[in-house]
Amino acid sequence: MEKTSFIKRPAVQTLLASILCAVLGIVLGYIILCFMNAEHAGEGMAAILTNFFKYRIASTNTLMKYMGSFLVKSVPVILCAEAILFAYKAGLFNIGVAGQYTVGIIAALYTSLALGWHWSLCLLATIVAGAVWGFIAGCFKAFFNVNEVIAGIMLNWIGLYICNIILGGEKCMNQSKSETYEISDLNPAGLLPGFMQDFFGGNQYMTIAIPITVIVAIIILVVLNKTTFGYELKATGHNKEAAKYAGMNAKRNIILTLVISGAIAGMAAGLYYLTGVEHFKIASSVPGMGFNGIAVAFLGGLHPIGAIIAGLFVEYITLGGQYLNTNYYNPQVADLMISIIIYLCGFVLFFRTILNRPGKVKVNANAEPDNTAKNAEEKEV
Amino acid sequence: MKKKLLSVLLVASMVATMFVGCGSSSSSDSASDATATTEEGAADAAGSDYKIAMITDSGDITDMSFNQTTYEASKAFAEKNGVDFQYYKPTEDSDDARVASFENAVTDGYNVIVVPGYLFAGMIAQVAADYPNVTIIALDCGEGDFSGAGMDSLPENVCSFTYQEELAGYMAGYAAVKEGYKKLGFLGGMAVPAVIRYGFGFVQGADAAAVELGNASEVEVNYVYGGQFYGDDAVTAQMDTWYSNGTEVVFACGGGIYTSACEAATKVDGKVIGVDVDQSGTIENAYGVEGLCITSAMKGLAATVDSTLTDLFAGNWSKYSGKIENLGIVSGDDPSLNYVQLPMDTWTMKNFTVDDYKALVASMNDGTVKVSNSTDAMPKTSIKVTEFDNIH
Amino acid sequence: MEDYVIEMLHITKEFPGIIANDDITLQLKRGEIHALLGENGAGKSTLMSVLFGLYTPEKGVIKKDGKEVKINNPNDATDLGIGMVHQHFMLVDIFTVLDNIILGSEPSKFGFLTKAEARKKVMDLSNKYNLKVDPDALIEDITVGMQQRVEILKMLYRDNDILIFDEPTAVLTPQEIDELMKIMKDLAAEGKSILFITHKLNEIMEVADRCSILRKGKYIGTVDVANTTKEELSSMMVGRNVKFAVDKTEAQPKDEVLKVENVCVKSKLHSNDSVHNVSFNVRAGEIVCIAGIDGNGQTEFVGALTGLDDISSGKITLCGEDITKKSIRYKNTHGMSHIPEDRHKHGLVLDYTLEENMILQRYFEPEFSKNGIIKKADMRKYSDRLASAFDVRSGQGAKTIVRSMSGGNQQKAIVAREMDRKHELLIAVQPTRGLDVGAIEYIHKEIVKERDNGKAILLVSLELDEVMNLSDRILVMYEGEIVGEVDPKTTTLQELGLYMSGAKRDDRKEAK
Repeated sequence: MEKTSFIKRPAVQTLLASILCAVLGIVLGYIILCFMNAEHAGEGMAAILTNFFKYRIASTNTLMKYMGSFLVKSVPVILCAEAILFAYKAGLFNIGVAGQYTVGIIAALYTSLALGWHWSLCLLATIVAGAVWGFIAGCFKAFFNVNEVIAGIMLNWIGLYICNIILGGEKCMNQSKSETYEISDLNPAGLLPGFMQDFFGGNQYMTIAIPITVIVAIIILVVLNKTTFGYELKATGHNKEAAKYAGMNAKRNIILTLVISGAIAGMAAGLYYLTGVEHFKIASSVPGMGFNGIAVAFLGGLHPIGAIIAGLFVEYITLGGQYLNTNYYNPQVADLMISIIIYLCGFVLFFRTILNRPGKVKVNANAEPDNTAKNAEEKEV
Repeated sequence: MKKKLLSVLLVASMVATMFVGCGSSSSSDSASDATATTEEGAADAAGSDYKIAMITDSGDITDMSFNQTTYEASKAFAEKNGVDFQYYKPTEDSDDARVASFENAVTDGYNVIVVPGYLFAGMIAQVAADYPNVTIIALDCGEGDFSGAGMDSLPENVCSFTYQEELAGYMAGYAAVKEGYKKLGFLGGMAVPAVIRYGFGFVQGADAAAVELGNASEVEVNYVYGGQFYGDDAVTAQMDTWYSNGTEVVFACGGGIYTSACEAATKVDGKVIGVDVDQSGTIENAYGVEGLCITSAMKGLAATVDSTLTDLFAGNWSKYSGKIENLGIVSGDDPSLNYVQLPMDTWTMKNFTVDDYKALVASMNDGTVKVSNSTDAMPKTSIKVTEFDNIH
Repeated sequence: MEDYVIEMLHITKEFPGIIANDDITLQLKRGEIHALLGENGAGKSTLMSVLFGLYTPEKGVIKKDGKEVKINNPNDATDLGIGMVHQHFMLVDIFTVLDNIILGSEPSKFGFLTKAEARKKVMDLSNKYNLKVDPDALIEDITVGMQQRVEILKMLYRDNDILIFDEPTAVLTPQEIDELMKIMKDLAAEGKSILFITHKLNEIMEVADRCSILRKGKYIGTVDVANTTKEELSSMMVGRNVKFAVDKTEAQPKDEVLKVENVCVKSKLHSNDSVHNVSFNVRAGEIVCIAGIDGNGQTEFVGALTGLDDISSGKITLCGEDITKKSIRYKNTHGMSHIPEDRHKHGLVLDYTLEENMILQRYFEPEFSKNGIIKKADMRKYSDRLASAFDVRSGQGAKTIVRSMSGGNQQKAIVAREMDRKHELLIAVQPTRGLDVGAIEYIHKEIVKERDNGKAILLVSLELDEVMNLSDRILVMYEGEIVGEVDPKTTTLQELGLYMSGAKRDDRKEAK
């Protein structure tokens, strides 16, 4: 009894579905490589999967440095995923994460480069900036019933153009390089403090962003599962009418949810740009981080800790693309593969439904009624 | 708390290692395969143990300009000499990603790295000293770029080449006005030093020609930077305005930005001038208009790559070691030997002939004609130059 | 040997932790009306799902006309001539009656619809079985009774001869119920076999030939209705004797708790008020009932009263305090309890556990939280106490996801929660909707106990039995207005029916 029901447990199913997605993505990637150049497909896939571990030939130091890089680069997408799943639990699809991330970039670079603030204030500024952006979308939703997706998309673009204007100015942008100045040159105090840099091969970008990300995920986990606030948010997410019936303040919760979600997204930008690893360049499209975050959130089973693992996976695959031998595959193949793998992440629900197929009943004689699948769907969608 | 976090991190990395463990056996196989091919290749190369890699800057090897030229030249040389060649494309436009590509290439066994573009100064500053056995050949990284990246001098394993783009720009401007064009335009990419030198040279050349022709009051130059190295609607719109207001020819100077100039030009039968390499074929094929590109202001990227690699293979690295060479005109007699030139093979201009061009090069070589390479301010001219705000 | 059209023999269907059907045998004779009676959670729905191929049973066989058949999906069931009228109609609102009937089996020639043929067949059936419908009316424009006739015609159009009615009378007025009973008899007389799932013993006694009873997944027996009594059926169903009349003493009304003055609510659908000038009061220690046919403004009125919907004018006073403009939270914490009409929409967060639902309006109170952290142990204790006090049964106790509980237990959970909360006024809307007699009896008893404890109770119900049995005063609502007030002890069902259908109006009220 115990054994058969194990596979039907929601948590196990989510995990299985996520792993299935990841594996299928890799298999599909392999097939694409075969199409492009069958002879070297195995080698190519191995290169992607071996990833930065190839540096173990060079030295442990190099390996650890790239391990550090990998962690550093995973931070923003993980936090964006956290922002998305947090709002999602409250029944809001915060596609505006991309824009909140963008205003976070403005805050991070403007405060550190133009204003020369201390990193702690810069980080605070990114959180506030993202929160304000979320607040605007939240107000539109709460008071004018403007769908948060519409408001989010509009604010994404507004954020992008404001970002281009502010960061494109003389104070932040090195006009001759067309990218923002090095924080380390203009305002070393604006850089986040290092974290275990020696352990990670002297990687100068290893900062407290890494532990902060883990802490944020844990805080989200606690807030969602242990607090009255989380209780309210999830109730609203599951059943808005019942939340209203229970006397919960829907408007306040909508705004608060988007404010917090935005704050996390803004912080994602802060924790990335304030390491100095990335510069801003005038962009004509919204950063993809906010959108990849959606895939990561789903791949992670909408679980705060799951999102960390999923984020690491997606970033690992993303970084793997550069190790493809360009004599056999042009770099766009890597991008294509990565996109497909990320795209497949969105299929987690689909796989969960398959795992719950009534047909499965014959295999598992003691399966629960088939509405588990339906439940799962209703719960997640 | 901290301990817990640490253990979480450790577990995560262990999982990652295990995950990779599955793939590693096959990868080591492929690695040995690769070594095998290298050995065969090495036999052909008569003992040469160089392996050449190239890293792209923000563009790709199909940009019909900088990266493509470098790629093709490096690859051609590698094939001719039977050595391994591969190019690497950084995951994003950042020093960090470029360093990653560099270390990736080095880990793959490449020890000669060709890097085109001023963007690489930062990367070189970070890696050159750590990898003394890896030869780095940089194109277009000037002194200013290196000092900006915190390098006052180059280590022995690095050399860099810059070009006197102002000379090429001068030739183009001079030729266009001598050919009879009166309303000229300059469309730069981003306002980086190389682009500015092209532009200011172009203006000086046009001015000189107009003064010689005595029609300085009639010649005008519109001058703008697109702010990016690719064309888009906004740039095209600006070009449309120029062409419809009478601009006859635009010097499209900046990676893929020529597409906007060409699109606008084809609508009103205007002309363009190419940059970096001889773009006439590419442009005319792409837009199906014969004579759309009247000439190109070229710099000898391919020649530089080829000659430097040849010297390196021949054991003459010391010629370049630690130096930044500023390449320009080396011969007054045979313009095709110069590192800045106009294409003579596809010459289409009628009023300004190849002979006129040769005469111009000769006088530039002997110092009769002086071109300023300052990038500080727009040169003073007797023709009218109208500067526009950056498009992006 | 008997002539059975469908036999379900020794059906066993298990779910983890529960045997939903344990060796159940159901034999349907040709041309009979066979009632299937059982409490909620007794296994009726599972059994029907097996018949429809939605579940595969672990044991047992299904026979059609004596031959064993395999039903793997609903299409197989349809092919065997099995049709079902669902409790909630499966009709497309913006299609006409005719389109709805032929939907899914549209007659066509060369890909073009041949509606004329279909119309003839439908009209023939309609005449034959006296199922009066207007084939060209839109579903959204016709009455619930007529919609049900459309559902029946749908089955007949598909030549089904085994008809399953799933609690068909829940949504009908007394007059419509009578009509349905007659239709069912006609159908049976024409040779159709009918399975009739219901809780209402009166209806079984009126139309059914035989009745099979399930209890807790087990087959209790099949009886000939002619040889049995309501009391016997109900004791078979519940496993003990059930009282139908609610035991209650004379009401002892005290102070006025709720006062409603001239309340109006704007309609969301049309320009008129959906609730117009409603005024009444409820005193402590009495049960006041708002009766009426579904859709006459009761839902909107309760919405305005509780704060779920906006009120356009009027005044509501609770315990002497004007609460017209107060928030829901304020009302919840200042003496108002509310058993909502739609337990899935309002009453429960279905994906929350039982314990989480038990504190739905109280999670923020010091009893259940400290510094914003929910006290899980206290929540668990509270939930367990309520569950045992109100006999709420669930698979895994307090941790059970409410969605997986039976409707009756879900409702009991709400009743428990609302009655346990500190309150002066209990608004109970359809508190026994869809429940079996055992549960109904229980909830009725609790409501009376509440009254005797000095609480004011406002009951909104569509069930006339409940209205008559439970209330101390009855207000009838028709088209958003209170058209009459009657005393249940002196009135008759007929009089109530006249008020409810708008045929009679209390002049006294109109004058006001």
